[in-house]
Amino acid sequence: MRLRASQLTKDFGHRTIVKNATLSVHPGEVVTIFGPNGAGKTTLIKILATLLKPTSGKLEIEGTDAIADSSDVRRMLGVVIHENLAYPSFSPYENLRFFGQMYGIKQLEHRATALLAEVGLQRFLHEPLRIFSRGMTQRFMIARALLHAPSVLLLDEPFSGLDASARQFVLARIAKEQQKGTGIVITTHNTELGYLAGTRFLFMINGELEEVAQKDEIEAETLLLTYEERLTDNAPKGL
Amino acid sequence: MKAFRQIGALIRKDLGLQFRSKETLVLIFVFSVLVVLIFAFAFGPIFPEKVERGKLTASVLWTAFVFAGIISLNRSFILERSHGALHGIRLTGVDASNLYLSKVVSNVVFLFLLEIVITPIALQFLDLLDVVTVGILLKLFGVLSIGTLGFCAVGVLLAGMSTSANGGESLLSVILLPLVIPIIMGGAKCTVSLLVTGGLEGGFWLKLLAGYSLIFLASAYLLADAVIEE
Repeated sequence: MRLRASQLTKDFGHRTIVKNATLSVHPGEVVTIFGPNGAGKTTLIKILATLLKPTSGKLEIEGTDAIADSSDVRRMLGVVIHENLAYPSFSPYENLRFFGQMYGIKQLEHRATALLAEVGLQRFLHEPLRIFSRGMTQRFMIARALLHAPSVLLLDEPFSGLDASARQFVLARIAKEQQKGTGIVITTHNTELGYLAGTRFLFMINGELEEVAQKDEIEAETLLLTYEERLTDNAPKGL
Repeated sequence: MKAFRQIGALIRKDLGLQFRSKETLVLIFVFSVLVVLIFAFAFGPIFPEKVERGKLTASVLWTAFVFAGIISLNRSFILERSHGALHGIRLTGVDASNLYLSKVVSNVVFLFLLEIVITPIALQFLDLLDVVTVGILLKLFGVLSIGTLGFCAVGVLLAGMSTSANGGESLLSVILLPLVIPIIMGGAKCTVSLLVTGGLEGGFWLKLLAGYSLIFLASAYLLADAVIEE
């Protein structure tokens, strides 16, 4: 088991953002969590990434208690969230070199250059990250997440702000990582791309996770209809 | 070895960021020169006796360095938090204590370089440069470096907490200044003593300065995990 979360809850003041979330991810599995804005997806990803401590619940990454031993667990995680997780005044190459030194990666220069070429940033190796468009930044974020060959990938809205070619690239990279046995969690509100990327689907609405189906059990159209129904059921009254 | 490698990479990154953007560098340099000039114009051009000049210079130097230090500490954590880079570092599994230590070292190096530039300017404008020997100047830099270490030992811990809060920049001044009073007292008294007598009379203030700095460095190193993780 790559990741096992049970009964995760996160409160901010009197508000409960994530309610008793239970989730497991096996090697080579891509779990897609669909949910509208404000459903608690980003908070859940940050908890799974050990960047936020849950109010209650358990989290294990590769069998290690991620709440008690978060430092050890973090090296197994590749994370893409809304923030860059990098330094805008450094170039992609400098950022990868710095983070690679922190991870203790061998043959770092070669690894960083190859990864940046793979994500299509070879022409921008030495340009500062701050001049990058949303799509280019997202490509860099994916390279940064894969730098240390993590066994678990946590991708929060990996398709947002991307053009068609960049979306295809992200889908292809997810498929490649899946074949390598990486456990992947994706959150998105894009049902089409989320369906293409995922092997198992969940909804997250009002902070609650709901298991939907394996990919071979559901068609894309049915998934979309079910999702829209669930959103309508849970829409605030008066809208 | 892993810890040394990580601390080294973090220090190189911090200094690289500071010197590349030059934003903080220019800000604290201009601020410090301004403090020196304001005091020099207010008290000059005819300065009082050497004893008074020594006291005045010590006041100018420590005023400039304390406030420049607050700016530097704030900026160094804002750079980490503004694009989630601190999250990125935490995801590498680095020990929070090593992260703390690297921030202390990089801020001490950064501020000490400022002190090396500003101190002769202050001595010149406050009419003390001709009476200060190289030996006294070296001792003065020794005192300033211990004081800067103590200041950063306290400051990095508090900046780590305050920059994540709303109004963090002003909050740092409020919570930091009361805690660094022993450092400012010890540093200023040592500086006066050096500039007036050329020595450190009894060494009480130096012991206070060094003792407080080391105690705080050790305590903050142990507390860093709880502060940076939260």
